[in-house]
Amino acid sequence: MIHAQLDVELCGRLADSCGPSLRLTIPENGLPVTAMLASLARAYPAVSDALGRIRIRACINETIVSEEAVVRPGDTVALFPPVSGG
Amino acid sequence: MQVELAQASFDPALRLSDFTAALGDEGAVVSFTGRARGQSRGGGPMSALVLESYRGVTLQSMQVIAGDAHSMFAITASLVIHRAGRIVPSEAIVFVATASRHRRAAFEAADYLMDRLKTEAVFWKREEHGGSSTWIEPTAKDREDAMRWHERKE
Repeated sequence: MIHAQLDVELCGRLADSCGPSLRLTIPENGLPVTAMLASLARAYPAVSDALGRIRIRACINETIVSEEAVVRPGDTVALFPPVSGG
Repeated sequence: MQVELAQASFDPALRLSDFTAALGDEGAVVSFTGRARGQSRGGGPMSALVLESYRGVTLQSMQVIAGDAHSMFAITASLVIHRAGRIVPSEAIVFVATASRHRRAAFEAADYLMDRLKTEAVFWKREEHGGSSTWIEPTAKDREDAMRWHERKE
């Protein structure tokens, strides 16, 4: 299977443990958000605690998406912890 | 309807004056300014509040909220300004102004805008104190305030 690199931006407190961006290798035909979160947790044990503890929303190309959405190479991907308003 | 994400400090009084000057025959104008306090939630002194936003998503979340306010209330104009970045005590964090023919709609729309901005606008907020900082979690009270409008809508 051909793989591609994907940079995932971490927002808010998610960036505390590993910085604001993490690189992940994903299949060229993409993978669902839930699988991407699992891959991130495996690749970066320091963020796995935060990913499992708080409700995370994924954002693909500036749209907040469901957990079933598929992340593809070239997408702009970010993970949001709960927002804390103004 | 005008919605702005401000990266630098702004003058709420000036913005209210401009907003009011552009109105027609509205009989009511309501505004609210949320300011950064000098005391942290833990009670100690706070040097700054830092609001992180995300690309176009933050502004889009504010626009959705303002659009809903126009659908729900008989307001004729609104202005929403939200700061991002580092905000020092006494600076404005958020400003809303609404105008309507009669007062009730303007009051309620401003209240509604603030409740939803507090809980749904895409910002992550932390307090800086001394050399450290603390992330602010959404509070149950903020969620309760926002829920009042969901109940009313149903």
